[in-house]
Amino acid sequence: MATPQITLTSSDGVDVTVERTVAERSVLIKNMLEDLGDSGEAIPIPNVNEAVLRKVIEWCEHHKNDPPTAGDEDDNRRKTSDIEEWDQKFMQVDQEMLFEIILAANYLDIKALLDVGCKTVANMIKGKSPEEIRKTFNIQNDFTPEEEDQIRRENEWAEE
Amino acid sequence: MSPRETSTRRRPSLSLRPRPRTAAHPITHSKEYAFDQWRETPRTELCRDSEGSAVEEMEPFPEAVPRRRSAKSFSNLRHPMDGLVALGRRLSVTLRHKSSKNNLQVPGEAEDDSRHYEVAGHSSHKRNVASQSWDKRSRAWSNSYSINRRPSLNSVTALHGFYAPTASVPAPIPGHGLEPPILPNDKFAGSAARAAAAAQNERMEMVKLEMAKLEMGKLERELLPRASDVRLDSESGIGIDLRDRSDASDTELDLLRIDPVSYLPSEIMAQVLSYLDPVSLMQAELVSHTWNGQANSPHVWKYVFRSVYTRRPISSTATKKRQQLGLGKAVPHQDWKRMFLVRRALDQRWKQGKAAAIYLHGHKDSVYCAQFDENKIITGSRDRTIRVWDAHYPWSCLKIIGPPPGDVSGSGPVNNPAQQATGKSPFVTICPPSTPSAGIVTPMEHPANYHSASILCLRFDEEIMVTGSSDYTCIVWDIKDDYRPIRQLVGHRAGVLDVCFDDRYIVSCSKDSTICVWDRKTGDLLKQLIGHHGPVNAVQLRGDLVVSASGDGIAKLWNVTTGACVKEFPSKDRGLACVEFSEDGRTILTGGNDRTIYQFDANTGELVKELRGHTGLIRSLHLDSMNKRIVSGSYDMSVKVFDTESGQLSVDLPGWTTSWMLNVQSDYRRIVATSQDSRAVIMDFGYGLDGIDLLEE
Repeated sequence: MATPQITLTSSDGVDVTVERTVAERSVLIKNMLEDLGDSGEAIPIPNVNEAVLRKVIEWCEHHKNDPPTAGDEDDNRRKTSDIEEWDQKFMQVDQEMLFEIILAANYLDIKALLDVGCKTVANMIKGKSPEEIRKTFNIQNDFTPEEEDQIRRENEWAEE
Repeated sequence: MSPRETSTRRRPSLSLRPRPRTAAHPITHSKEYAFDQWRETPRTELCRDSEGSAVEEMEPFPEAVPRRRSAKSFSNLRHPMDGLVALGRRLSVTLRHKSSKNNLQVPGEAEDDSRHYEVAGHSSHKRNVASQSWDKRSRAWSNSYSINRRPSLNSVTALHGFYAPTASVPAPIPGHGLEPPILPNDKFAGSAARAAAAAQNERMEMVKLEMAKLEMGKLERELLPRASDVRLDSESGIGIDLRDRSDASDTELDLLRIDPVSYLPSEIMAQVLSYLDPVSLMQAELVSHTWNGQANSPHVWKYVFRSVYTRRPISSTATKKRQQLGLGKAVPHQDWKRMFLVRRALDQRWKQGKAAAIYLHGHKDSVYCAQFDENKIITGSRDRTIRVWDAHYPWSCLKIIGPPPGDVSGSGPVNNPAQQATGKSPFVTICPPSTPSAGIVTPMEHPANYHSASILCLRFDEEIMVTGSSDYTCIVWDIKDDYRPIRQLVGHRAGVLDVCFDDRYIVSCSKDSTICVWDRKTGDLLKQLIGHHGPVNAVQLRGDLVVSASGDGIAKLWNVTTGACVKEFPSKDRGLACVEFSEDGRTILTGGNDRTIYQFDANTGELVKELRGHTGLIRSLHLDSMNKRIVSGSYDMSVKVFDTESGQLSVDLPGWTTSWMLNVQSDYRRIVATSQDSRAVIMDFGYGLDGIDLLEE
């Protein structure tokens, strides 16, 4: 028998068929299937639209054979901001898509994808000046020069 | 080259060298340590001369390890290229994404509704998402009903927000990715964004033209509602969403630039920021008020602090008693950012060589050995006593183990200002009054309960202390039971010069040229390692490997279980006095009469580096891998700190005592050095540093 397929319905009402093992990279879907059994009915994913859902599934397909992440190694997860090459390419999308992938990974409980997403955003911030960060994300500087000065002084604190 | 000094005088040994401060028993000293060359034929020295001049040329404060800076400049280098490539990719993806979406677009109402569910169902998507969706609704509402509203009318737009969800929307705009701009109320925002966008324009112009054609149809559809565009306040009132796509021709083509702090829930943003380095995080604090609120959080700083000052995973080869790392306590409400600032200030002091000198006065003769942790310093002396000191103010002597010593009067000069001129002198000198011995001496009924001669070496962990003495024995003490002697290890046929231990073994080495391996639990003699041709001056244990350094000029690596010598690491010329084995077991450092620190690869046996700077026998070495420091104490009366990566001398501390340095150990904030002048000195780089106690573990 071929690998069992399940159907997910995106927020914009599109049905997407996917291998069950792939979909189970999502702890949310995995638990749902375990709790309810696979009735064959489409599982609604009300928070993720089709484009994002397809992107997330693409990631899950590529990573379907990854060993499961061991428990709550919160510290270890955060140790490095290195991203493997395939994931780097995968994350080369516009900011809205990137953030939507992160939100979807968070909602669907796909820790590894959430990590990669967060690391990607972190790498967009890393090594930049405040002004460069503002430009990157189109942010308005709402500090007064005095406030800015105050924060700088605090951060430059050495001693005495 | 000048005539070789050693060719005429083969043994510039301890007994022949002038002693800066002659203690009461000048002759017996040479008996206790012998670093002389034991080889019959001395080799010609080739490098000694250049060594002298090398000291002069040595930059005392080499460029500090620019770790953070290099990381930053690296990413600066990397970024523009990546940025361009990414830009191209993003554009294409965006296009694909959009057009595919366009095809699949269900009439607006459905899209808008789904967005509404998302808000309701997805509680972890915080209010920013909600407000965005409200925006769409209110905008949609206003697009159809309120033409030509002015953006400044906050009350009106607030009403829009209020009414929007219930308003029936005959022709809503497709949302999410395709939706027309969310227009900020802030009149400055638009121009700023346009300026930012303009920066992209040059590169994007060509692409845009092509895309414009492709997107023409869609643009036409969307131009209609856009004609009635109205600037709206966002429901949240924060007004940080500055996506400005008011210029219709740019709308679909510009890169989407979204403030992640307003788009992502704060717990996710915290995870993003926790991947940053401290410098980047501090930059992020300056981006905006909301960024400051996110970045300046203890939760984020905890991770960032730990990414810089990390505890190495405990390896099987590590000894049980680890040195203090200054990583602070993981208590609730810990101020991790402040800890980082304190730690950075402390590291700055190390670079500058700025430390206080605190002299522990009480021993009546040479202090041969010491070990310390955050709370106590334990010293062993030629006066046959072991003293336990408070590692904090007022640094009093808490306990004396050994025969009643009687009190020492007057402390005399504590250091040598003339010598200090060539290096770093203490920025403050503290001589706590010596504690009267009456109350702190443990009465010993049997002489067998303490050493009958000099204490030459000592080591302690959380449970036991082991000392080695000129009386040929080791004593194991119960550190938890007020330093009660547990047993004496008898077997060596001369003074015990060094000792170390782990969970299983106690390893001692002796002037009798042997190394004894004892069972920690029972005290049984398990093995004798025989092979050195001179006194074994130092020994270290990592897992099943023992490394020893001998007056015969050879360091040997032994396997404890087989008792076989696995490898040899010869000095260039003369006897070795000290040895260090890195915690990971990969690096071996030796020092001795060559006045050079040799760094070997423990696996290959290859000589990796030679660290120069000392002008006398190197008597003691301490390796702090985490902080990349090698600390050395020498008969040239200086303590020096070398950088493990560059091998450069980073701090020179000469003349902090009035005689030979006999033992050095360091942790994150201090060096404790003991001297032949009967004192120990704490070189405290954290002294008086505001908040230094935060780093205590």
